[in-house]
Amino acid sequence: MNFDFTDAERAFAEEIRRFLRANPPETFPVDGMDAGYGSGANSRAFLKALGAQGWLGMCWPRTYGGREQPMFMKLVLMEELALAGAPFGPLAGCWQTADAIIEYGTERLRRELLPAIAHGEATFWQGYSEPDAGSDLLALKTEARRDGDHYVIRGHKIWSSHAGIATHGLVFTRTSRESRRSRGFSMFVVPNGTPGMDIRPIRSLTGEVYHHEVFLDDVRVPADLMLGPAGEGFQALLNGLDADRFWGRFYKAPALERVVRQLVDYANTTLVAGAPLAHDPVVRRRLAAIAADIAALRLIFYRTGCLIRDGAPLTYETAMAKVYADETGQKLARLGMDLLGLWGPLRAGSPWAKLGGQISHLYLTTLGHTIAGGTAEVLRTSVAVRGLGLAAEPKVAAEPKAR
Amino acid sequence: MDFRPSPAQQILISTARAFLRQHCPPELGQRLAFDERGFDESLWRRMAELGWAGLLIPPELGGSGGSLLDVVLLTEEMGRAGLPGPFVTSAVVATSLVLAAGNPAQQKRLLPALAGGERIASLALVEESGSFDIDAVALECAVPGRLRGRKLFVKDAHVADDLVVAVRVGADPTLLLVPTDRPGIARLPLDTISGEKLFEVTFDGADVRPDDLLGPLGGAPDLLAPALRAGALARTAEMVGGAQRVLELAVEHAKTRVQGGRPIGGYQAIQHSCADLVRDVDASRALLYAAAWKMAEGQPAELDAALAKAYAGRACLAVARRGHQIFGAISYCEEHPLHLVHKRIQAASLEFGDTQLHLETVARAIGLQSSSVGGSRR
Repeated sequence: MNFDFTDAERAFAEEIRRFLRANPPETFPVDGMDAGYGSGANSRAFLKALGAQGWLGMCWPRTYGGREQPMFMKLVLMEELALAGAPFGPLAGCWQTADAIIEYGTERLRRELLPAIAHGEATFWQGYSEPDAGSDLLALKTEARRDGDHYVIRGHKIWSSHAGIATHGLVFTRTSRESRRSRGFSMFVVPNGTPGMDIRPIRSLTGEVYHHEVFLDDVRVPADLMLGPAGEGFQALLNGLDADRFWGRFYKAPALERVVRQLVDYANTTLVAGAPLAHDPVVRRRLAAIAADIAALRLIFYRTGCLIRDGAPLTYETAMAKVYADETGQKLARLGMDLLGLWGPLRAGSPWAKLGGQISHLYLTTLGHTIAGGTAEVLRTSVAVRGLGLAAEPKVAAEPKAR
Repeated sequence: MDFRPSPAQQILISTARAFLRQHCPPELGQRLAFDERGFDESLWRRMAELGWAGLLIPPELGGSGGSLLDVVLLTEEMGRAGLPGPFVTSAVVATSLVLAAGNPAQQKRLLPALAGGERIASLALVEESGSFDIDAVALECAVPGRLRGRKLFVKDAHVADDLVVAVRVGADPTLLLVPTDRPGIARLPLDTISGEKLFEVTFDGADVRPDDLLGPLGGAPDLLAPALRAGALARTAEMVGGAQRVLELAVEHAKTRVQGGRPIGGYQAIQHSCADLVRDVDASRALLYAAAWKMAEGQPAELDAALAKAYAGRACLAVARRGHQIFGAISYCEEHPLHLVHKRIQAASLEFGDTQLHLETVARAIGLQSSSVGGSRR
């Protein structure tokens, strides 16, 4: 066992902190809000600055312009950025897409997209869910039909985060009808602006635009923009979802730790009936208990990171970690709202808002976290079935038989 | 970072698991819990032969020179097997204190005998305040002098040959090391739901001599802090081991108990409950190992130990309660193993600082200002 960082990891963390001091995160223009996971916000300018440091592609093979750094360097980078509240929004999605392209992308995808990802120019939205295909993703209806050296995509995607400010969509489609329900799916990397693609914003309960729905009306895509083997896209998707659960939530523990620090400051400096809120034993215990949750959460993610680094097989780990991350975020948001009382619901910008109005934003955004990327229910089932070997519930036939 | 036990630690774990499977089956735990004495001498000797009793003692004093991390891995297996007895109080807490504060004569007299399983020691700290905080100790004593008063919740005092007694000499919180057969010392059992053997120890004018001092006058706070932290982590390991056992039993039951035509583990309600057991056990274990590793490396670990015990105290008890719900009515029976694991987790969550006390340590460490001026609680 060893719970310390290596000298190289510590040196890299120090390098990141120096970079953040020289380039204060709040000075970068923001083009999309944080959805509450803890990435600060979406800022293409910040992403490009990370690219200029050579950090976006640092773990890739040298053939693709990388420096073959150990995977743990990415964890060090994410933790430092999250602790600083930096606007690194698209980072996890970029890394996941790059890894998929390196693993099974066509030469064209590698040639065109990897340099763009490395420079912070390419960012991605996920075109998975559809209006009638949520937790039952395989019920999707979007089809891609082969037409010469192109595919023609027709369908309707929804809940695609930041689709309006990204450069490419990862569009999951049915390319053939097969006897096995999980076969016949293929993933495409579709550039935004391709004729026939209509991206429409969905205003969320925070009052902001985060999700989009995307109408694909005979969108023609070159066949070599398919990501992964034709018809075997479901496995690629599962791998991607597994990665998303880890990389998309790894930074939640440090991000929540940052919020705890702010709540501690608030409790120390806020007087209630003449005494600091921090003296209230219930406040002390609740803040201490959530700090313990976050410490455990951080270790759970690092443990999973070790398994990924060591190439150990994963069964339940990412599903469990995601549920824990998302529910801990909700718990902290509830505590924050309780501590702020009447001031809690004031929006950012309101002169009386406390802590920049971010607690109510966290409260609202975290509501979506136990739904997005696999609901807490689907994931608990996955932990039990894949991790513990319990028998899956029998599937109910999709359509009742006519009598 | 690496969460895997070293090859030597893996051997310790597998040896412990095999030994306890053979020599400490669930029936033994049950029998000892209901037995008034509840101590298996031959099992204790065998464990000493394996080097467990002297795990923290250096080889030159008859021990096996292990670390606190080794202790934690071993006590986790003991918790999983439901092994009762004085291991934590004697081989971890009292041994740590004698190692840290004993003079050469005390160390020579005690440590080889503790390592060999010939002597057992316990800690007499808590009084009617119910606190493990040294500041709460009121029992006064002059050295030399006579000791009059009582201690509560002294674990396994009936089989202990020596007691580390926390007293106040004038204003100085001080530790004494006294044999239990000294005239004027009586041990009265407290009846507990867990079957753990706890005692009220009364001192009726027991003789206290200068060479009974364990460490300097006023030395108790600094000596007790690391020893109680080691005890807290060993007890946390017992909780984690107990929760692991509940998880294994519950999943096995969910796979084999058939209702409505299929195993109950085929229903999402039970599946989701089982998934939460995994989370609670994994998270508790991660905090435990991180804290024990830091202590074994000599790094500051006050916060880490408090996080681990506070977290496990809640999470492992939640595992036990959820276990009852998964098992249903059968787990309400005395002959079923679950309730004893549950009660043992309950007992472990209270010793060496309960959840509230450790949460207060966390509260101070994360920077919450305290109203108590200079009052350090432990």
